[in-house]
Amino acid sequence: MASNLELQINAFIMKLKRRQLPGTVETAQKTVELLRVVVSSQPRCTTSSLLEAVRDVGKRLVDASSELVVGNMVRRVMYVIREEDQQDSARDRDRDDQSDFDEDEDDGAGQEETLTLGGPKDSKIMRARSLASLLEYQTPAAGTAPSSSAAVSRKLKHNIIECMNELIFDLGNICSQIAEQASEHLHANEIILTFGFSTTVLKFLKTAKKRNIAAVVAEAAPYYDGHKMAKQLAAAGIQTTAISDSAIFAMMARINMVVVGASAVLANGGVIAQVGLHTVALAAKQHAVPFVVLTGLHKLSPEQPFDPAVTMNDVKSPGEILDFRTLENEASGQLHVTNPTYDYIPPSLVSLFITDGGGHCPSYVYRLLADHYSPEDYTL
Amino acid sequence: MIRQSISGLLANPENEDRTAGEQCIIPEDSSQLFVGTFSADNSPPSVEDMDEAMSRDSSSGFRNVSFAPAPSQLAPGHVAAESLATEGRISGEDVVTGAVVREFHAGLNSDGDMAISVAVIKALTFVIKNSKAYTIMELEKELKAATDALRACLESHQTSISLSAGCELFMRYVTKALTMENSDLDESKRRLTERGDKFAETSHQAKTKIAELGQRYVRDGGVILLHGFSRVALGILKQAATQGKNFSVMVTEGRPDNSGQKLATLLRELGLPVTLVIDSAAAYVMDRVDMVLVGAEGVVENGGIINKIGTYQLAMVAKALGTPFYCAAESYKFARLYPLNQRDLPKDARVYDLNLSLPQETAVETPSRDYTPPQLITLLFTDLGILTPSAVSDELIQLFL
Repeated sequence: MASNLELQINAFIMKLKRRQLPGTVETAQKTVELLRVVVSSQPRCTTSSLLEAVRDVGKRLVDASSELVVGNMVRRVMYVIREEDQQDSARDRDRDDQSDFDEDEDDGAGQEETLTLGGPKDSKIMRARSLASLLEYQTPAAGTAPSSSAAVSRKLKHNIIECMNELIFDLGNICSQIAEQASEHLHANEIILTFGFSTTVLKFLKTAKKRNIAAVVAEAAPYYDGHKMAKQLAAAGIQTTAISDSAIFAMMARINMVVVGASAVLANGGVIAQVGLHTVALAAKQHAVPFVVLTGLHKLSPEQPFDPAVTMNDVKSPGEILDFRTLENEASGQLHVTNPTYDYIPPSLVSLFITDGGGHCPSYVYRLLADHYSPEDYTL
Repeated sequence: MIRQSISGLLANPENEDRTAGEQCIIPEDSSQLFVGTFSADNSPPSVEDMDEAMSRDSSSGFRNVSFAPAPSQLAPGHVAAESLATEGRISGEDVVTGAVVREFHAGLNSDGDMAISVAVIKALTFVIKNSKAYTIMELEKELKAATDALRACLESHQTSISLSAGCELFMRYVTKALTMENSDLDESKRRLTERGDKFAETSHQAKTKIAELGQRYVRDGGVILLHGFSRVALGILKQAATQGKNFSVMVTEGRPDNSGQKLATLLRELGLPVTLVIDSAAAYVMDRVDMVLVGAEGVVENGGIINKIGTYQLAMVAKALGTPFYCAAESYKFARLYPLNQRDLPKDARVYDLNLSLPQETAVETPSRDYTPPQLITLLFTDLGILTPSAVSDELIQLFL
């Protein structure tokens, strides 16, 4: 691998380890950009070795970061490569069949094959582990693996890089695409509860300002970024009430809808979100208030939560909760302060996901996964 | 495979009461296998006899022959037989049904751990391989007859949902493959046999895949409640134990077929701490349990499961107390069923004798299985991955596309 590329990878890994990348969108875009460099710098090779190269770099990035977004983007890129490869070979088959068809007018089979291209047949190829493929005789070179013998043509590589550029561009548009759907979900004179600070939620609520909504913002200890949110909402002309976290349950009876952001969406429809949101979700369930999560599809992860409160959590400095200086004379050996970053919200508590691809219920997440990732890439 | 089946045929004690209408295959010294008639005096046929038989017999290779049961009379490498009971060509279907049932039993006997569906697929593959059908329609008819025969033979003493699911999967695949291919019949048959064999192999691996996926959910220090005898669920626990996790298991007694007893024995062999609880105590112990794990006889279209009686109850209790309810099932158990209530299940003829002395005219109901709706199931561990119940229907649609 070119030493320049290696330098870039190491620099990125360093940034990830030091958590210097603000926000998931930035992380996602930088990841895809790096992988684009990897793809374009690959010498003439087969598709499977291209996938291998991406997978290797991807693994290193995933190990360096606790953010699930990195892994998601690696898998997205691999899916893009596989898909482009399939389409490419399908186009080749099309060309061959077309010539066969021209020669042999009565050959109905050739006609049939060109007609089914781009239809469900293609999606079947990508869904590697379906029942249909159970009985498919998988010859060593074929099956769902890309055409390993053919080298990656310039055109194919160009297509892959084009797709990756599109991906980067779309990542930048997530916020606006989600905000566009605001007027469908928010109705006149509704009271919306939100928690802490999220740019997506901010934009979402600002877009629906004409519906004359009112907002209630919980301050979200220990960072109290709810204060920032309340100020910005008020500045945008939305009637805002700021409350402490303990008042959430009390206020819930007056709330029409809860709208929050998330850090990640898991394969079972569960959500990894800012700590405190599980409580909010439970309160909402108790009062039958819809709990709506705004998330870009880049946060969708094929990980299944085995013990998410433990395995998918990040514990930050306890000093953010309890100042070290106040513990001077305390028997600090007896006092244990824990500062988890995330909460796990089970899918039964979530009413709706509003994504850049539209609104979906948690039980539909499996389908979104299948549309964006290839099952072979679930474990990198 | 044919030689295997012959030894299976010979070894099977049911050889004794063979009747006319069954297949007879002679392994010959030559490289070809003949199916033919035999001379009336039980002597091994001469090559001329066989040639004559082959030339007479134009299409169906199966002949209506009957066996002499005693193996001692058999010349090495030959199966003795009496002469033709009837004349003329017998349809391949009649002969097939007897043979396929034999093959099915042979398959089950040879591997105690083999699931019913796998044995079914092997038997059906056997039918295809030995079919002398000249058209696709004929082959399909033979397969249909075979399927019905297998179904009939199991109805009396075992569950038939996995069987139906496996049969339907195979039939669906056959019809799909045969209509898609425009190559000749022999080529199609060869490929179908290949795929049938591959299916058996894949389903064998299914258990291992499921064990690997499911064991991640077993927590150190956890308590798992099992219900019903499921080899797949057992495989998950075995794998978790191999990974060095420390957990304990509770097993429901599983009346009236005492599945709990069997399970407890096997679990003790693995060295796991086991507690047997009576079925009625499921709710009583549920607050001590971290997760409930069951197998399935069938997975229905909406993601619900059909399993041993008591599963529905257990799922309800688990839901009420917030305990996750997991089901481990191989993908070939996905059935084209959509039960709307408990009585909508395929009839199971198993009858349990409770051995009670009851007054006259007391009605007794001993159902053997029930249907658990998808909203009570947290996740399904399958060889297609860890699925939410809503994902099952998608997979089913994929198959029947």
